[in-house]
Amino acid sequence: MKLLKVFTRGLWNEIPPFRLVLGLCPTLAVTRSAEDGLGMGLAVIFVLACSNMLVSSLRNLIPRQVRIACFVVIIASFVVVVELLSQAFFYPIYQSLGIFIPLIVVNCIILGRAEAFASRNGIIASGLDGLGMGLGFTLSLTVLGSIREILGQGTFFGAEVMWSSFRPFSFMVEAPGAFVTLGILLAIMNAISKSHQS
Amino acid sequence: MKTLDLTVSPAPHIHCGARITGVAYNFFLALLPTVAFGVYYYGFDAIRVIGASIASAMIAEAVFQYIMKKPITIADGSAAVSGLLLALILPASVPLYLVVVANFVGIIIAKQCFGGLGASPLNPVLVSWAIIRVTNTWAGFLDFDLTLINYDTGFLLQYPLAVLKAEGSAGLAHFSLLDLFLGRQGGGIGASAIIWLLAGGLYLVVRGMIRWEIPCSFLLGVIVVAGIFWLGNSKTYANPMFHILAGNVMIGAFFLSTDNSSAPVNRWGMVVFGFGCGAMTVVLRAWSVYPDGVVFACLLMSLFTPLFDKLRAKQVLPQPVYPITPATISGTVEERSGQ
Repeated sequence: MKLLKVFTRGLWNEIPPFRLVLGLCPTLAVTRSAEDGLGMGLAVIFVLACSNMLVSSLRNLIPRQVRIACFVVIIASFVVVVELLSQAFFYPIYQSLGIFIPLIVVNCIILGRAEAFASRNGIIASGLDGLGMGLGFTLSLTVLGSIREILGQGTFFGAEVMWSSFRPFSFMVEAPGAFVTLGILLAIMNAISKSHQS
Repeated sequence: MKTLDLTVSPAPHIHCGARITGVAYNFFLALLPTVAFGVYYYGFDAIRVIGASIASAMIAEAVFQYIMKKPITIADGSAAVSGLLLALILPASVPLYLVVVANFVGIIIAKQCFGGLGASPLNPVLVSWAIIRVTNTWAGFLDFDLTLINYDTGFLLQYPLAVLKAEGSAGLAHFSLLDLFLGRQGGGIGASAIIWLLAGGLYLVVRGMIRWEIPCSFLLGVIVVAGIFWLGNSKTYANPMFHILAGNVMIGAFFLSTDNSSAPVNRWGMVVFGFGCGAMTVVLRAWSVYPDGVVFACLLMSLFTPLFDKLRAKQVLPQPVYPITPATISGTVEERSGQ
């Protein structure tokens, strides 16, 4: 029961980009399309779950004073794995995500979960936490990417979805469109959770 | 409309009658000749754009205030003025969905999300225009030379700033300053009606709806900086009077940059603000990819408004605290502020 709660927490109550407002750099930069958002999210799920479990299993060995450096080394090794795998098997996504795959190393969510959760809890709980947070992150990025792609390019996962005379509103795939969309989604989420509370 | 009830003094209540609605009506009155100009030359298309713009601005405000459960204040006319001003800087041929999207984005994101009338750090009209301007897929709709090709107005419908951008000042020989002044140039529905904008702007200045410092220093900024460019290289850069009379400068100086909530309130702040708008306008016209730079210049300067407000601000001396009794409250304002 407690483990289930640990898992589902990342999906709504502490969904990373919207509730924790962490990891905004990839959230804003790579959500030009739903596909990019999904690819980035999957990479983060893998890194987050694996690094959480490894940090958790090593939590009694890591000296307190140098823990951040140790976490970064662990995270970086998984990021290299993801980078090489995506280079080998998903080359188009690797190209469109570009620098943001190596930058997962410094993603606040991953370091934050390692510090706040994995270094204090058991391996299974940490793995589930990483999975839940990663899923929440993927969900947010895919939703954000879908909205921006549909309005800004008229496509969804590369397929035409709007009527033929639709002139895409390309402001949405530019950088300011990311901020506007993120702000509107945050406002809607806050409104929903407020109405749940009352 | 729910208002704060601050009236604590007994009669007499003297009120000069000025309201937000009154300001909006004065803006409408001042813009009436400009609108007539646009309708006369561009016909039904101008009515279509102006009507859609005013309606969508008011609907956007009403929808947002309804969703947020706030009092609906579209009757004060401020949204309608925003819609009208946006229509006046658009070409008459612009598709209506573009107008609607621009107004919704401008009114909701730039105005209502920041707290509504009087609280927006940027003029919603400028934000609306800037957003559709940076939308690459819609750029063709705002290209005056392309979109106005089917209108017959009896004069050469060429956008002077695009000519300047493409050919340098040598291509401007067939634009006489008088023609530009009388509005015989391609451009927005109302933005090219220089003489009528000037008349409307002066009316607003006389009525005290806008302060004279901003338009004057705006035009001065254009003249000074354009003059520097022109003296440096008169083959590439146009003369200062051309810059004043072409494009959005006149509507920008009197109507766009004087937005109450995004312009400074102190005299020297307003002077620097206006001068900066004018100077940036010419710089953007000379070096940016866009033919006209008024809107971007005003947006940029609006962001510095909090800094301009600190320029030579009046020092407020600490006032002695009076106990609030009916006797102290019923005095005049001058008595209470300890003059």
